[in-house]
Amino acid sequence: MTAASIALPPFWSLVDAHGDELLDHARRLAGPQHAEDVVQEALLRALRAYPRLRHADHLRAWLYRITTTAAIDVHRSRHREVVTDVPPSRPFHDPDIDEFEAVIGFLGDSARDALRLRFVEDLEYEAIADRLDCSPAAARQRVSTAVRSLRERLT
Amino acid sequence: MTPLPDHLLESFAAEAVREGLADALFGVVDTPIGRLVIVQGGHGIVRIGFEAGEGDALLAGVAGVLGPRVLRSERELGAARDAVSAYLEGDDEELDLPVDLALVRSPFRRTVLEHLRRVPRGTTVSYGALALAAGNPKAARAVGSACATNPIPLLVPCHRVLPGTGRVGNYGLGGPAVKTRLLQMEGALDQPPLTGPRTDSL
Repeated sequence: MTAASIALPPFWSLVDAHGDELLDHARRLAGPQHAEDVVQEALLRALRAYPRLRHADHLRAWLYRITTTAAIDVHRSRHREVVTDVPPSRPFHDPDIDEFEAVIGFLGDSARDALRLRFVEDLEYEAIADRLDCSPAAARQRVSTAVRSLRERLT
Repeated sequence: MTPLPDHLLESFAAEAVREGLADALFGVVDTPIGRLVIVQGGHGIVRIGFEAGEGDALLAGVAGVLGPRVLRSERELGAARDAVSAYLEGDDEELDLPVDLALVRSPFRRTVLEHLRRVPRGTTVSYGALALAAGNPKAARAVGSACATNPIPLLVPCHRVLPGTGRVGNYGLGGPAVKTRLLQMEGALDQPPLTGPRTDSL
């Protein structure tokens, strides 16, 4: 038996609750033709890491981060022309916040802050607005602009 | 909310199974008694219950014992769904699927359910006789608890256990009406309840 020491919800309940929004997120990042591959890869990475999570907080933001890094990696592996020493089938190491930071590192401070508030701290737009001292509409706009910048990096 | 496309979910589940990442898999099947969730662990079916009302708690219960990586795959559960569906539609074959009593923590309850599993279609058994078979003739009440908390109704046929009163008794998977219907379907109700299961192995 591999009973978890903390009560993680059945993985399916995460897929059921957030699968559709993750697919939307993947579409925005990777385009409609690659979105399903990105989501499948993201769900597998999340599943591999899931039993090792130390708490069950902010699982939605965790899935968004994994989907974001999966979108970047799927894009990179598709465009990699030089064969590296690392076989592409090697299991991906566990996604975490450092990896997410590496992916968003090229963005400006303002865009990174917006993405962190949304996909690390798991805040709703009202709360992001409070933190950024702007309106919820403006907060949504900043997150969406930052996501678009990530996407432009991919195309 | 639009769920993810089926082909994406199935492809994800198939890859997870290939990598050995799934602690349990489940599917949902429409039957004449309602929509049933069927959960499969590493060694067989671990849980059957109604989707409505108890579905979330049911999966959480499985996750608490087998691990949190509980995934849905109608394809992986295809054979079990077909068998349960055919049985409840009135197919006259014994419902025979691998069973895993991992969710039963108490050794006595597990022994009871292991004996109950061998009570064949078309027969019934009393709580007292089942207690005797499980090695404790005075434990009819504990046998009642074992049946009431049976995680795998239908496959572990708790509907074949009758109280000594001559009534049909209660039934977790839809009440006495469903119990009666199952026993009639199996041809077990036009005879008086037996004092023990008709097998020599008990």
